[in-house]
Amino acid sequence: MSKKNLPKSFFWLVTVILAGMACDAYSAPLGNYGNYDSQMIVTGKVSDGSGQPLPGVSVRLKGTNTGGVTNASGVYSLTVPEGTGTLVFSFVGYATQEIPVSNRTEINVTLVDDAQSLEGVVVIGYQTVRKRDLTGSVGVVSTENTERIVARSVPEALQGLSPGVTVRNGGAPGQEAVVNIRGLSTFYGNASPLYIIDGMYADPNTTINPNDVESMQVLKDASAAAIYGSRAANGVIIITTKKGREGGPKIEASSRVSIANLPKRYEMMDARQYVTTNTSAYQASGFPIQPAVAAYNGFVNTNWADELLRTGLVQDYNATISGGSANANYLISAGYFDDKGTLLARDFDRKSFRVNTETKRGKFKLGENLSITSSNNRTPQLGGDFAGNPFYDMFASVPIIPVRSDDLISSGNPGGWGYGSAGAVNTYARNQVALANITSVNSNFNKLLGNAFLDFEILTGLTYRFNAGLETSFDRTKNIRREGSWYQNQSPEVSRLTDNRSQFLSYLFEHTVNFNKDFGKHSFNGVVGYTEQTVQTENALGGRLNLAQFGGNYFTTINSATGAMSSSGELRRHLINSFLGRINYNYADRYLATFTFRSDKDSRFSPRYRTGNFPSAALAWRLSNEDFFNISWISDLKLRGSYGILGSANLGAYEFTGFLNQAPSAVFGTGQAVVNGATQAKLVSESLRWEEKRTTNLGFDAGFLENRLTASFEAFRAVSKDVLVGQPLPFYLGNLLGDPLVNIGSIENKGLELEVAYRPASTGNFKWNIAANFSVIRNKVLELGSLGIDEETGEQRSYIASGNTRTQIGRAVGEYYVLRTDGIFQNQAEINAHRAQAAYAKPGDIRYVNYVNGGTDDDINDRDRVFAGSPWPKFTSGLQFNSSYKNFSLSLQLYGSFGQKLYNDVLRELDSYGYSNYRTDVNPWTPSNTNTTFPRLGVAYAVNGVPADRGITSNTRGNSDRWIEDGSFLRLRNVEFAYTLPDKAFSRIGITNARVFLSAQNLFTITGYSGLDPDVVGANVNLEPGVDNGNYPSSRIVSFGLGFGF
Amino acid sequence: MKRIINIIIFSLIILAGCKRDFDEVNPNAPTIASFWKTSDDAVKGVNAVYGTFYRTAGLYSRWIYYHGTLKSDEGFGSGGDGGLNNLVSFNQTDYNLPLTAITWETLYVGVFRANQVIAYVPDIEMDPVLRSRVIAEAKFLRALFYFNLTLYYGRPPIMLSPSQPEDVPRNATTAEAYAQVAKDLNEAIRDLPASYPEAEVGRATKGAAYALLGKTYLQQRMYAQAADAFAWLVTGPGASIYSLVDNYRDNFLVTTENNPESVYEIQFNENLAENTDDDVREDLINNTGTSIAQFYAPPPVGFSDGAARRWLIDEFLQEETETGQRDPRLSASFLYSHTDPAGPSATMIYGETFESRYGTGPNANGVWFRKFLNDHWKNTEGFRSPNNYRLIRYADVLLMYAEALNGSGSTAEAYPFVDRVRQRAGLPTLSESKPNLGQQAFLNQLKHERILELAGEGWRWADLLRWGDLSPALAVRDPEFTNFVVGRHEYYPIPQRDIDLNPNLTQNPKY
Repeated sequence: MSKKNLPKSFFWLVTVILAGMACDAYSAPLGNYGNYDSQMIVTGKVSDGSGQPLPGVSVRLKGTNTGGVTNASGVYSLTVPEGTGTLVFSFVGYATQEIPVSNRTEINVTLVDDAQSLEGVVVIGYQTVRKRDLTGSVGVVSTENTERIVARSVPEALQGLSPGVTVRNGGAPGQEAVVNIRGLSTFYGNASPLYIIDGMYADPNTTINPNDVESMQVLKDASAAAIYGSRAANGVIIITTKKGREGGPKIEASSRVSIANLPKRYEMMDARQYVTTNTSAYQASGFPIQPAVAAYNGFVNTNWADELLRTGLVQDYNATISGGSANANYLISAGYFDDKGTLLARDFDRKSFRVNTETKRGKFKLGENLSITSSNNRTPQLGGDFAGNPFYDMFASVPIIPVRSDDLISSGNPGGWGYGSAGAVNTYARNQVALANITSVNSNFNKLLGNAFLDFEILTGLTYRFNAGLETSFDRTKNIRREGSWYQNQSPEVSRLTDNRSQFLSYLFEHTVNFNKDFGKHSFNGVVGYTEQTVQTENALGGRLNLAQFGGNYFTTINSATGAMSSSGELRRHLINSFLGRINYNYADRYLATFTFRSDKDSRFSPRYRTGNFPSAALAWRLSNEDFFNISWISDLKLRGSYGILGSANLGAYEFTGFLNQAPSAVFGTGQAVVNGATQAKLVSESLRWEEKRTTNLGFDAGFLENRLTASFEAFRAVSKDVLVGQPLPFYLGNLLGDPLVNIGSIENKGLELEVAYRPASTGNFKWNIAANFSVIRNKVLELGSLGIDEETGEQRSYIASGNTRTQIGRAVGEYYVLRTDGIFQNQAEINAHRAQAAYAKPGDIRYVNYVNGGTDDDINDRDRVFAGSPWPKFTSGLQFNSSYKNFSLSLQLYGSFGQKLYNDVLRELDSYGYSNYRTDVNPWTPSNTNTTFPRLGVAYAVNGVPADRGITSNTRGNSDRWIEDGSFLRLRNVEFAYTLPDKAFSRIGITNARVFLSAQNLFTITGYSGLDPDVVGANVNLEPGVDNGNYPSSRIVSFGLGFGF
Repeated sequence: MKRIINIIIFSLIILAGCKRDFDEVNPNAPTIASFWKTSDDAVKGVNAVYGTFYRTAGLYSRWIYYHGTLKSDEGFGSGGDGGLNNLVSFNQTDYNLPLTAITWETLYVGVFRANQVIAYVPDIEMDPVLRSRVIAEAKFLRALFYFNLTLYYGRPPIMLSPSQPEDVPRNATTAEAYAQVAKDLNEAIRDLPASYPEAEVGRATKGAAYALLGKTYLQQRMYAQAADAFAWLVTGPGASIYSLVDNYRDNFLVTTENNPESVYEIQFNENLAENTDDDVREDLINNTGTSIAQFYAPPPVGFSDGAARRWLIDEFLQEETETGQRDPRLSASFLYSHTDPAGPSATMIYGETFESRYGTGPNANGVWFRKFLNDHWKNTEGFRSPNNYRLIRYADVLLMYAEALNGSGSTAEAYPFVDRVRQRAGLPTLSESKPNLGQQAFLNQLKHERILELAGEGWRWADLLRWGDLSPALAVRDPEFTNFVVGRHEYYPIPQRDIDLNPNLTQNPKY
């Protein structure tokens, strides 16, 4: 660069910095094409491994601006200087090839699929490296597989596609998946991986369009992830969005319409069956028949599941325009996604827009990736006691209650909604139809996410990059509650609304220098850098009571309401500064080494513990390149090993110090005035430290038969120390507002991962490939820090408890700790022999194992609890099969998860002989029906001052293994059948390719689990991951789609 | 090259100029270290302890009345709350049942708040009189919380300083726990005023502390100490402060709150804008009323989760007043077909006659506790009743004083205090109608007197426990007692969560 040009370059630099801060779209100038005096034309055809022509392949003369793309027949034509130069062929999904012209005028090329190729590049954070040079554990997920899934978010589509990546999906519109990489290494809060989208720390939640994703890399071990230091302990997923390519403009459009249904329901009794069974139950318990049951007239027969469930409709439309020259490229995409849920009044939609551009000018390269999305989520009020849960209520609700009736209209129930009444038929099930009519929560998220960067090539092989990232979201949630009730004994409320506006803001500045230098057989590359990030959330909420109503319609602005007003708001902010560096060394393509370091300073920790250092190292040996290696059928073999320390900062801002809570109030004075109080409500641990995860990884990558068969194997052991736990505290401490965080000990995760892929060298019309992965992860608690000392034994307490689970040293996180059942008492002699339940049990009651004082008349109580299984799968596996015959293609994805135990809390509710409707499967024990697992029929609750039969009540204990089941399942995650229209079919109207497809998702699930879906998210995603407490099941989705390219 | 480096340095400087304050203070709330500095902080701190009364359903908003009344032979679970119905029929399998666990938790929330005041206020530079008073108020409240913990759970661990996550106390014995209650009250008595200006009514007074101290001793049948404590109110300086109101029912009306009979009264206020019972939600508005009226009121106005046993009515009908009338306390205590002696057609249930509401239907025999209801001023109920709870009434103090005197052998001296209570109701004095009772006979008479005077006010369980009367024999009055196991059901189970989290805690016997 000459001095003359410098001020101009400097101007560019500053412009980009400012542009990055403001995150404005940067419009890229188009580059110049070169001029040459003496030229010749090279033509040729580019095809894939099976001989099919590849249209749209970029062909470029290396080191120049000359280039073009192949046409629909895969043919290109390029003017090049006579006889010399090298052509570079590149195409998404295929390995780039360089071929010297060598005076030829026709050069035909066969491109090799990237996934099979070791030449492809992989993004590993601040750097890209050749896949073959990887030393750490990096999973590459092909978008070919993820794009087949009807997914609201990117992580959802990852299920089963990469070993060690566990994804638990729910089925609600707008619901996010739970992702764990290599087991659970934290107890608290967010155990999700860190996501990097185009160089910006950002969650690819439902606000990001999965269609924009070009590639995903999963960084699993310490060496791969250490460049992200304190945030990498749960693994890192790097997402790169699509870019424009040389040539074009290329227009692609796709549409997909899907029908979604719940594949399974609990079969519940109709009104007549209910009346019969409920009558028998009350008679068996000696209670008067419930008045409404006794008076049942046959008119009402509500199927509550039918009232709530509906056929969902998912629509997904995308359009992309992309293109570029040698010096600039662009991609503009727009998407619309609409998910009408399978459950009444639940909808989600997203509009998304993206502009990605990149421009080169001399030694500078400028680029930006910017996405704007607006998404809406509409639901009734969710969560908490008031709202109930539809996946309990639709089954528990009693069929002799109408959904609504004019007869039921009263001052407290102006809508006339049907629900339980102690004086008619007793149930506390929520009328979810009423809830959906009375309440609504509309959330709107407007998000801007992107980055802009400037590269400056200081010297050959030495490049500086300034990267500015921004994620900001303007969110609004409007919560409206109209007048009315939806369950028995509900507190009557006046109508009200709250309007919550919040802004999330995260901005990032990064300065990195990449270097790349070869000295003979020694090759070095790496990066050093400095980054700063600020993350803040601020919200303001206003609310008011008594909405105005005219003609039955509610006005829903704050000013239209007339009652008392309320407001609240807060600001939370934290900062992170980091230094980072990595060096990769390669000797003769045989010995590889990687050293990585990151130092993070994070304001969420107290000054004493604010800085954390995270180093790692990895070594690899490409055995197959050694001279002595002479096994012809092994085409590639690389051994790898790594060790490193990662961190985790699962904290909110200001959590390391205690605060006064100023909300409590008291009433004093004959005027009964409300006065303010202040107190510490939540306990804190002032010495919160970084979580540290030390990971050892050993593995090999192998290619056989000219890489047609590839295999990767990994064995890892990760020990997390100072793990943050939301420590469940005893009530006597008086702690409120959630469990305080403490650094509490150590968890080990170890496992094996195997990934195998095979692609036969077929040349005919039939082509296929198959890939499978297998993971085994074992989770064990090693230490639990200072949970207090047992004064009697002088030993550390060895467990924390949450719900019906216990996390204990030497065991997996969240194992069930419950009473054991032992069948049903068949006769009085068995009861007498058992003794512990003799005071109340009758034949037909559940027999519990009396572990403490077994065989005495000591009652069954909580001391008799024992461990009863782990919620974690013993083994998970995914399989992908793709095939094509001429223009037809068929692909399958299977996912299996085996050995996990689930606690079915919905079944507990339905089978407890309480106020619920009964399942049609209910088969109570009677003296003449003894071969059953259902205890004798009765009523579990006292009625009108007459005590319940203690035996019946005892049968319904929640803390027993009666509700724990094997949750193993094998699921056909996706099957897709597609037809690509022949080239010439639409070429006259400019359509270069067209594809139609039919696909089915979750077509079948093989499982013994009695619940609606064994793929549960969990009551507490970390400590109670296997508890099905009304989990929204995944839908069965049938889609029809079309794709066009112009 | 040099220029290029300059560019990089320059751009670094630009960015370094961004504000990077790693020690930014939380803009949302003061830290503990910056609080507890002024008298205002001290008063706010103790206000939050009183705030515990309103927190959740666990205490004086609702459930503490269930524990004292529905679980006893006075009442039963008459509504649709199966968990409650099983609990008060001594059929509890889940030791974390919210009805017992949340009452326990909320009492300890109050203890934690009181402990903060007691630990931090002594170091505040402020008016020493106010400082002593604030600390004494906190001690009174801590004593009240521990009194309830001991009464219902028997063996609570004792926390006396602000909680730390690593605290693993052992159970106190019942005697140790009551001793702590007495210690706090004795210390509070020293610094509490006998009364407050109007705007401060509702704060703990010396008389309230003496009364609770007496209750604490009496509950342990430490009669002499109990009598000493009550004496301050009955024959000492308190005698000029407290008296029985002429109209018994004035103890339960919103229009006659904080009257001279009220020794300690929890102040409730109707806040229509409230949207939470969770009083630490800074984004919501607290409920400072009580929901008990909604849950005790007869249907369809209330949920009728609890109702009274019919034998109580017979107890009232044993004696007539001196003018031949029915004991006026009967209609003040219950809503039933004859709340108005003229019968169902004259008895009003929230603006409608009993007859027209219930006719001969399933509710025709219903008996509902009336004392916390608002039927005297409106025809609806809700979760925000403003009707104050008279936690300790002077009539209760008089009867307890009599019990203490009788217990320590001074039966004759006990008569006048029972007489005062009976006379206010219009009954002949005991001195006339049943003179010269022996110690046991007098106690038996007191049991009857306490039912008539205090039915449905939440003290019946404590009375039965103190008298040793809890047994399956009560099933003749209350069939729920068929399940009663002596040695087990006197106390609730300690929440299993706490047993699971603290190896030093043991469960109550037979659970």
